[in-house]
Amino acid sequence: MELQKIKDLLEKYEAGETSLAEEKKLREHFKKNEVPDSLKSYQLIFGFSEIESKESYEKEIELPSTKQDNRYLWTAIAASLILVVGLFFFQNKPLEMSDSNLGTIQDKEEALQKSMEALKMVSELMNEGKEDLIYLKEFNNTKNKFIKTE
Amino acid sequence: MKQQGFLDIINPVKDKMYRLALRLLVSKEAAEDATQDVILKLWNQKHKLKDYTNLEAFAMTVTKNYCLDELKAKKNNNLRIVHQNYEHNAISPQRGLELKDELNWINGIVSELPEQQKIVFQLRDIEQLEFEEIMEITNMKSTAVRVALSRARKKIRESLTKKHNYGIAKN
Repeated sequence: MELQKIKDLLEKYEAGETSLAEEKKLREHFKKNEVPDSLKSYQLIFGFSEIESKESYEKEIELPSTKQDNRYLWTAIAASLILVVGLFFFQNKPLEMSDSNLGTIQDKEEALQKSMEALKMVSELMNEGKEDLIYLKEFNNTKNKFIKTE
Repeated sequence: MKQQGFLDIINPVKDKMYRLALRLLVSKEAAEDATQDVILKLWNQKHKLKDYTNLEAFAMTVTKNYCLDELKAKKNNNLRIVHQNYEHNAISPQRGLELKDELNWINGIVSELPEQQKIVFQLRDIEQLEFEEIMEITNMKSTAVRVALSRARKKIRESLTKKHNYGIAKN
């Protein structure tokens, strides 16, 4: 590109009127060619923009909400494991208990006493119930009035 | 939207977001924090992202607004942002120290520009975006974008020329 054309483009550039394609042309020109001292500032500016455009964001992007998802995932796995293990253990326990542990008393004396107590309680309750049945005798009395026995 | 889908959208934009944040906030740490915060903001509104036709522009708008808010908060707290961490690892060594010096100089000039000009210069000359995109990101009219851009370009070039003439005159 001849110098005059470059100067025209630079004028357009400073007025903010150049297209991206024209700006690219300028950049290329200043990158590849030696320019007169009067245009050195432009060379520096274009060099500056090129270098500045290479700056990059080096850090990892952290998205906490997805981490939270993972945390819940592991909590869920742990909880279901505990549930399964728990079920496995406690399912067997009640059966064993009904077989073996009936509160059997080992001492003979005490066993006798307890059984007596229990039987006594049963008979007492039965007697109490019997007392209420006393009026049934009336049936017999009435019956005897009609049916004479020898 | 799944995490992977979100990252697929963000990954091509995140460097641009970071560079814009860096241009406005100057400090690397502040720019990194801002980028991370904005990405988080976008992730939290991911159900809404479908509604935006130009996600890239939207992400840049959020970044821009976030940084401007940061700056406002800093100003309110009477804090001056100290920025002396211009580093340019990308320069090839044979181009030498002098160039690095010049680039730091330009960085200094750009940091003196008004925010709006800074943003427009960043988006056009560094990110090389179309005017339509810049208008969308900055919410400015076409003429306003061009005027801001023109002022920024002139200011940078004039400052550079002045510096060089000064250098020559001194010698």
